[in-house]
Amino acid sequence: MSEARHWRQHREGGSRFAYRVIRLLALHGGRRFGRLLMYPVTLYFFLRRGAERRASRQYLARVFGRSPGPWPMLRQFHAYAVTTLDRIFLLAHGERGFAIEIEGLAELERRIAEGRGVLLVGSHQGSFEALRVLSARRPDVPLRVVLDKSRTPAMTELLEALAPDVGAAVIDAAQGGAHVVLAAAEACRQGAMVALLADRAGEHEAQRAVDFLGAPAQLPVGPWLLANALKVPVLLCFGLYLGGNRYRLVFEPFAERVAIPRGQRGPALDALLTRYAQRLEHYVRVAPYNWFNFHDFWQRPGGDPASV
Amino acid sequence: MAELTPAQHELATLIVESLNLEAVDPAKIDPDAPLFGGELGLDSIDALEIALAVSKRYGFQLRSDHPDNQRIFASLRGLSTFVEAHRASG
Repeated sequence: MSEARHWRQHREGGSRFAYRVIRLLALHGGRRFGRLLMYPVTLYFFLRRGAERRASRQYLARVFGRSPGPWPMLRQFHAYAVTTLDRIFLLAHGERGFAIEIEGLAELERRIAEGRGVLLVGSHQGSFEALRVLSARRPDVPLRVVLDKSRTPAMTELLEALAPDVGAAVIDAAQGGAHVVLAAAEACRQGAMVALLADRAGEHEAQRAVDFLGAPAQLPVGPWLLANALKVPVLLCFGLYLGGNRYRLVFEPFAERVAIPRGQRGPALDALLTRYAQRLEHYVRVAPYNWFNFHDFWQRPGGDPASV
Repeated sequence: MAELTPAQHELATLIVESLNLEAVDPAKIDPDAPLFGGELGLDSIDALEIALAVSKRYGFQLRSDHPDNQRIFASLRGLSTFVEAHRASG
């Protein structure tokens, strides 16, 4: 299967130009107009992106236990299009016009109040931008997102244009692990929330395989080594899209402190990754169409794709 | 392999002790070998522990926004050069 590519070789969900056009149309035409646009956009991407279509089929087959027809795949593509559109509104106007329920806020606030900083670990499920709502409600707590600026130019441009405060506070992963860990530690000393996504590894980043939806999938170990170094409370964070204008932002305590003894890194990492993967699975069951990893998630390191 | 200078040896000892690298002899660290991802078994994330140990011992901060961080953390030689240039006098 020559189409099996590393996710980093996949294009970002849209070109910078497309993002700019959609941003313009959406902000001038409003969300209702933008949502209408998303139907042809969904169909366009569905027809044009073979690799993403295969990834969707593979994922949905694992979730539902049978090969999906086009309808569930279209639903997944459409959810991705809508949440991508909603990013623009969430970043530009916060929660205005949305119905966003927050679960686990008390747990999060208790840990923020400790003043040591917190690490929020998410995934490419739903909308991480729903977090923006929180930073609007708690402007006193800085939010610093770890993002590889060189790999996500369209997203970076969007952030810097619509939410300059969040954009300026991005910790750029392209500058290397030493930069990320020092910047994250400085942020935590100020009591900040540091947020990152932990379900995609860089091509040369260390990863380990754990069971996910019935087959081994490679997950990056970096986020957990970071948690170990920071010694701050870790919460999982998901911004699930529920349809219409509804989102559910979930904060789930994961560990008061992640400890990875140097001599037992392997087993300690496997235990953490397994727990993380189990929680991803849980939210896959809660919101199956929120899965936005449109690449072969079960690809083995050598580039040899796992068969379904 | 280059012989370690006294400053490099002191820093190597600090790293080995603060990171509990029990199997590593500080005197045998190659000053030009990559600090992270090499034989020491260190990950770039370990930069935080090194930075904390350096600030305690030498009295200055290694900061995330230093433009030369990649060079500073590239090798024992790079880190030692930086430490020697910035350590609190005395």
